[in-house]
Amino acid sequence: MNLMKKTLALLLCLVLSTVAISVAYADYPEKTVQMTVPFAAGGGTDAVARALANVAEKYLGQSIVVVNTTGGSGAVGLTEGAYQPADGFYVTMITRELVTLPLNGLCSVTADNFELICNVNMDPGMVTVVADSPLKSLEDLLAAAKATPGSLKFASTATPNMYAYTIELDQDIIFNHIPFNGAAEAIPEVLGGHADFTITSPGEAISQVQGGQMRALAVMSEERLPSLPDVPTFKELGIDIVTGTWRGLAVPKGTPADVVEKLRDAFAKAVEDPEFVEFMNNAFLNIYYLNAEDFAAYIANDTEVASAIFSALE
Amino acid sequence: MSNFLLGLQNAFQPAMILLTFVGVAAGIAIGSLPGLTATMGVAVLLPLTFGMDATAALVLLVGVYIGAIYGGSISAILLRTPGTPAAAATVLDGNALLQKGQAAKALSISVIASFGGGIVSTIMLVTLSPLLASAALRFSTPEFFGLAVFGLTIIASISGGNPVKGLLAGCLGLIVAMVGMDPITSTPRFTFGIVKLMSGLNVIPVLIGLFAVSEVLSQMESIMRAQKKAAKITDHKIINRKELRQILPTILKSSLLGTFIGCIPGAGADIASFVSYNEARRSSKHPEQFGTGCLEGIAAPEAGNNGVTGGAMVPMLSLGVPGDAVTAILLGALTIQGIQPGPLIFQNNGPVVYGLFCTMFLGNIAMLIMGLSGIRLFSKIVEIPKQIILPIILALSMVGSFAINNNVMDMWVALIFGVIGYFMKKANIPSSPAVLAIILGPMAETNLRRSVIMYEGSFRFLWTRPITIAFLLLSVISMISVIRTTKRARERSARLAAEQQNAKNERDDTSHGQMEK
Repeated sequence: MNLMKKTLALLLCLVLSTVAISVAYADYPEKTVQMTVPFAAGGGTDAVARALANVAEKYLGQSIVVVNTTGGSGAVGLTEGAYQPADGFYVTMITRELVTLPLNGLCSVTADNFELICNVNMDPGMVTVVADSPLKSLEDLLAAAKATPGSLKFASTATPNMYAYTIELDQDIIFNHIPFNGAAEAIPEVLGGHADFTITSPGEAISQVQGGQMRALAVMSEERLPSLPDVPTFKELGIDIVTGTWRGLAVPKGTPADVVEKLRDAFAKAVEDPEFVEFMNNAFLNIYYLNAEDFAAYIANDTEVASAIFSALE
Repeated sequence: MSNFLLGLQNAFQPAMILLTFVGVAAGIAIGSLPGLTATMGVAVLLPLTFGMDATAALVLLVGVYIGAIYGGSISAILLRTPGTPAAAATVLDGNALLQKGQAAKALSISVIASFGGGIVSTIMLVTLSPLLASAALRFSTPEFFGLAVFGLTIIASISGGNPVKGLLAGCLGLIVAMVGMDPITSTPRFTFGIVKLMSGLNVIPVLIGLFAVSEVLSQMESIMRAQKKAAKITDHKIINRKELRQILPTILKSSLLGTFIGCIPGAGADIASFVSYNEARRSSKHPEQFGTGCLEGIAAPEAGNNGVTGGAMVPMLSLGVPGDAVTAILLGALTIQGIQPGPLIFQNNGPVVYGLFCTMFLGNIAMLIMGLSGIRLFSKIVEIPKQIILPIILALSMVGSFAINNNVMDMWVALIFGVIGYFMKKANIPSSPAVLAIILGPMAETNLRRSVIMYEGSFRFLWTRPITIAFLLLSVISMISVIRTTKRARERSARLAAEQQNAKNERDDTSHGQMEK
């Protein structure tokens, strides 16, 4: 009963505040903003989007509805996001797939079809093996790969796997890529001893690492992760690989400049909101804010790196 | 122990008990509507739980999960339209029993079997989790390939006595499953340059088309031709004690099968229901009765698919990886609550885990109560005039297809497969094998190709991995037993026909004799 009263009160507040706002400001945003997420509900991208949308509502002064448009490894949602009306009411959560899919001809839109808002999150790749694996360190792993080229079994979370290709090109070695759909499928393979190692985001393997079922050998971040202080970075081990998957926000190209400014402002504040920060820390997701300008440079650099890898593969 | 008590206390607060009932009721409604699946129900309600505490969130979502897996059978029995893919096997005997006028019996078997599956799997989850998890870890891609091949042989036992036509439907399913990006190299196949086909055809709209839309079309035809009155419920009796004792072994066996299949990450309720149906038919003394309203034929898939609910929690809790699509979302829900599922969850969040266990028991009891008391209400659906119910089913089918991915194309998929399903009905080609093939085709293909990659281009895994060998042997056994039972059934019906013919001849003879006199 109490809950119902509260819900009713909340609903009333929402309705009244919407009315109040629409009276006070006749300009943007006078109606609900939609956030398109190109991946399914319950996944990592969805979690970031929902947590951010929830917090950003108070800075934008308008409710934000998350819509999951899935398919084609993100291609469907990204394409739809790029072709929605450029009026600021359709924000899209863009991910690294916006770089990798077009390079493989799997998606027709690129970052050029979007007006960037900001980057929100960046998770470095983390190399993990099963706890009783003979591979005690990254050196062991690389040595094993050199000794038997193409035989070390890598449970890949996505095709093509940027992390593994980056290591292979850098170290001039070849792994045996066994493709799986995401970390949820790849991790049991490693746990069961069917594959030698995998590379995931820290958040995807943290519970197995902390629970002693898996061992993290190295991460691809600039510095060691606060949650796993014993795990060295690739850089420390003398391998210059710093890379990860990123998630940011964008609106269709051609959105009016003042609207874009308002969105940039609101989301910049939302990323720093304590509620959002707490959520990201709890989920072992790494906040990595970049303003539009830096974000564009970051994407340009990522595209360069990725296309170098893909052309080397051919 | 204190964790257990805390969990008990969490789950048995009056508000939580109420929430369990709300969750299960919502689940039953979601599951019974064609197109709204357990996965979708849980995904849709997920954002609602962000504001709740962890126990409340789990109570609601697990309630929906349990309810929806059962709910799918209601429409499978009453409308010949499985509410979820996991209920596709229930259509065969469930609807056949309804046609005999025994809707109440079919519905009561389905809820009791679902309850049995849920309770058995929860007991297994509470007592044997670590053991089951380590067994599940022995499954790698060659084992999944074996499982998928074995699963595909089930086509024979759900073909309704005509394996050739079943095979035809199975091949259709396999072709449909090939549309989209190739699972290994991501090369688009049969997509005709359409971006929306890149992710392949979703099984739900195809299922809705083949079952719901095609059923609406053929019912409309019979209305227009004023044929065949609606199935009248002649018998309001639910299952009696003797029948219950008769199906109890099937329920127990199917529950255990379902639990184990649920434990294996990547295999869920849909596969479990078909495997359980197949096993019940294989081990039955009267396999020829399956498909004609056999009690075991309803109990097996329903106990099997609800067995998955407990099983799928095993890898989620002990390994931190989901056991099926629903637990993948539950995992996300827990993460958002700041709980990391995995080996440490018992230490770090004991009360939440034990709360989850209590909720699963309570949820299954809630399902039993609501399922049994709802039988009369549910049965009324059959008595609604067809002119009213058919447009409603069609509308729901369209809404359900659209809602899967908010995608208009999926509505076209459902309509097109509705027409295909209609003509399949005309030609007496069963639709269940097609659905099974759509579920298992990609699993077989992906894992075969993955295994070859894993073995660096060799097929060695086919004879070096014990579990894979076991599944391949089971496939052969399953094929042989189906050929045998089909043959036996054919002989029996031939004999029956011959006897009837003889009897008729004798009658004719005697009447002739009388005439002569």
